[in-house]
Amino acid sequence: MSLKVLDPRLDAEGEAMTLAMPLERLEGVTIGLLDNAKIGTAVLFDHVQQILASRFGVREFIRRRKPDSSRPAPPEMLGELSAADAVISAIGD
Amino acid sequence: MTEQPLRSATYDVADLHEANELFQRNGWTDGLPIVPPTEDLVRRFVEASRLGPADVVGIEPVRRRRITAEKVAIAAVMAGGLPEYMPVVTALVRAVCEPVYGLHGCTASTGGSAPFVVVNGPIRRALDMNATHNALANGRRANATIGRALRLLIINVLGGVPGRLDRSTLGHPGKFTFCVAEDEEDSPWPSLAAERGVPASVSAVTVLAAESPHQIMNEWTADPREILDTYAAAIRANMLTYSIWAGNYALVIAKQQRDIIVAAGWSKADIRRYVFEAARVRRGDWRAVGKSAVAGRKDEAQVYAALRSPDDLLVVAAGGPAGGFGVVVPPWYGAKSLAVTKTI
Repeated sequence: MSLKVLDPRLDAEGEAMTLAMPLERLEGVTIGLLDNAKIGTAVLFDHVQQILASRFGVREFIRRRKPDSSRPAPPEMLGELSAADAVISAIGD
Repeated sequence: MTEQPLRSATYDVADLHEANELFQRNGWTDGLPIVPPTEDLVRRFVEASRLGPADVVGIEPVRRRRITAEKVAIAAVMAGGLPEYMPVVTALVRAVCEPVYGLHGCTASTGGSAPFVVVNGPIRRALDMNATHNALANGRRANATIGRALRLLIINVLGGVPGRLDRSTLGHPGKFTFCVAEDEEDSPWPSLAAERGVPASVSAVTVLAAESPHQIMNEWTADPREILDTYAAAIRANMLTYSIWAGNYALVIAKQQRDIIVAAGWSKADIRRYVFEAARVRRGDWRAVGKSAVAGRKDEAQVYAALRSPDDLLVVAAGGPAGGFGVVVPPWYGAKSLAVTKTI
């Protein structure tokens, strides 16, 4: 006896999210920092921002804090972040 | 009979054992064995849903995952259910895809909740669901596999794999299955679904993103107020030791206590009103439970209610005939997820 079984995932049909292409360089770019509103995120981003600016030459940062950690960022906030070359989203739990 | 093709990728395996090993190896199960979702079985389950395989049952609102009848059927087969359970499972999927349920948040949260499912109406009998002895636990196929089907969908379709999208610190055993039928035959009260606007002749599911149930005991009184004071105390304990935020709590009240409450002439609405008043804490009460660091951040005399209004309380009649027991089912995190009812 042999069986043919079906894949239970959506991923197998190409609906999975894929990673964005990485930036070629960080120097002079604008980075968005999306804070998920947990208590430790601001401290983490202060640190990340400092490293990105001093070590990698990132020129500008757009920092936004979600109003609710359990819900998606509002569209207008995503619109503001879209001016960045790349966005880092972090959970400071 | 549907002629539409199934779209899922397929895998050839030698036998039942190898099928299960494939799913275990790939992390496509909750850890328990699965019934292999073969094409024939999946077709039968899709047909029982009265949908086409490509029909979208629900869309998870955050990541926009489209949950098709085919994927629901695969999960329901894997869970060990029967085709006739499909209308319940699809109603459940529609319910958790409502934005107010916050499926993404409660799946991803470190808080580790599980969907607590209450089934009402004629379909409970038709599917031989359990509402009495061991009502919240093992024993009956429909209760076990309807809840499990939703878990397997969360794992495989939403990516709610522990350590990946599912960031639960601890989770709780209800994440395997957490599905109860209300004991409508042995209760004079309107069912939960009826209280939420569904006609008594119509079957429905209600789902709540819930933490683990907390069992209470009080068999030493004939006063409904005293019984409900015990439930309120358990809710207050949850507010102080877990989360103080108001949201949907559920009470599952078993027969012995129900009889006392009913004999006193109390309705579910009376229960809700009483618990709404009784389940309150002061911010300063946090000091007695080791949370003095946060107690003083705001006015410690401030009173917090467990429920935003009496309607936030879900009252369910279920449980075996003997024992002065009931449970409090707390919400995942205040009102960030709200209970949703859908007709079947």
